[in-house]
Amino acid sequence: MSAQAAFAAALVDPALPCPPGLLAWNGSDPARRFAVYRNNVVVSLIDALADGFPVVQALVGDQFFRAMARRYVVDRPPASAVMAEYGDDFADFIAGFAPAAGLPYLADLARLERCRVTACHAADAAAIDPAQLAAALADPATLPDLRLALHPALRVLASDYAIVALWAAHQGVGALAEVHPGRPESALVLRYGLDVEVIGITAAAAAFVASLAAGYCLGQAMAAAGAHEAAFDPTAILATLIAKGAVCTVCTASARHPQGEHHD
Amino acid sequence: MNQQLTAASLALALGAALTVAASPALAADKMADKEKCFGVALKGKNDCAAGPGTTCAGTSKIDYQGNSWSLVPKGTCQKTASPTSPTGFGQLAAFKEKKA
Repeated sequence: MSAQAAFAAALVDPALPCPPGLLAWNGSDPARRFAVYRNNVVVSLIDALADGFPVVQALVGDQFFRAMARRYVVDRPPASAVMAEYGDDFADFIAGFAPAAGLPYLADLARLERCRVTACHAADAAAIDPAQLAAALADPATLPDLRLALHPALRVLASDYAIVALWAAHQGVGALAEVHPGRPESALVLRYGLDVEVIGITAAAAAFVASLAAGYCLGQAMAAAGAHEAAFDPTAILATLIAKGAVCTVCTASARHPQGEHHD
Repeated sequence: MNQQLTAASLALALGAALTVAASPALAADKMADKEKCFGVALKGKNDCAAGPGTTCAGTSKIDYQGNSWSLVPKGTCQKTASPTSPTGFGQLAAFKEKKA
């Protein structure tokens, strides 16, 4: 192990000895100085996670959250210097964290909070002029082949648990005591203006949006939604996407335009 | 669902969706009374957009950076002093800073 790797490993694991070869500027014990530094590193990473996952923290309490986060920091120290990216796989870690097994919805709630952070930092993109969509209506036969490029901040998350209601209850919308955590819910996360919004949608609508986001055309997205709900009506979800500026460009699959390119 | 039926229901849905989306309740544009103003944010205080290699909000490296913007009330941007701006004021598009 290189000196740097040994230093990094000892930073997050108190069981490891102080790396050799350290000197303190004032001649004090390097092991003590290193312990202070190690504590600052770990605590600042736990604080970063607490900032990004406030509802997870509220659901399990500070003490449980900080203990869980500490284990995560030790197991999976940051791979990037950008703190906003730290915690990308925190939800996966929670899913495998045995002490949290009693709260099966916790991992998906963490996924929802992660979606909000990544949506906040996603690139800007201009919304489509509705007139362009209206123009597509002139030839209805081509509609199933239409591709909608969605906003880079848009995320969709389908869950077996009531993640939207649980999250909303922590924003002062609805009472936590009245939420049935075992009710499946899907969330649409998008950035409208400068605000990240969480919108509850049906499982069929979630399949529809996920299909569009993956680059499939409207007809294929309808089929994906139809698997959840035979008589799926896309009006509501299309209205939401358009009104929230989440549709950026449109092109037909037959026109050989790469996805995302502007097409008149 | 066959292709024709899908086309018909999509036409209905998209038409209705456009109407709903244009209704005042949903169309209340949050940005309507604001504008993005480039070159007026102090270092690290930009709302968003500050060049390659940065991740948006709070990442501008210098005061009055020309490619970082702040959200300001509409109409005030080009009246806000910006020492780095060639016009001497904030601008509605990114610009190259002159020496302040």
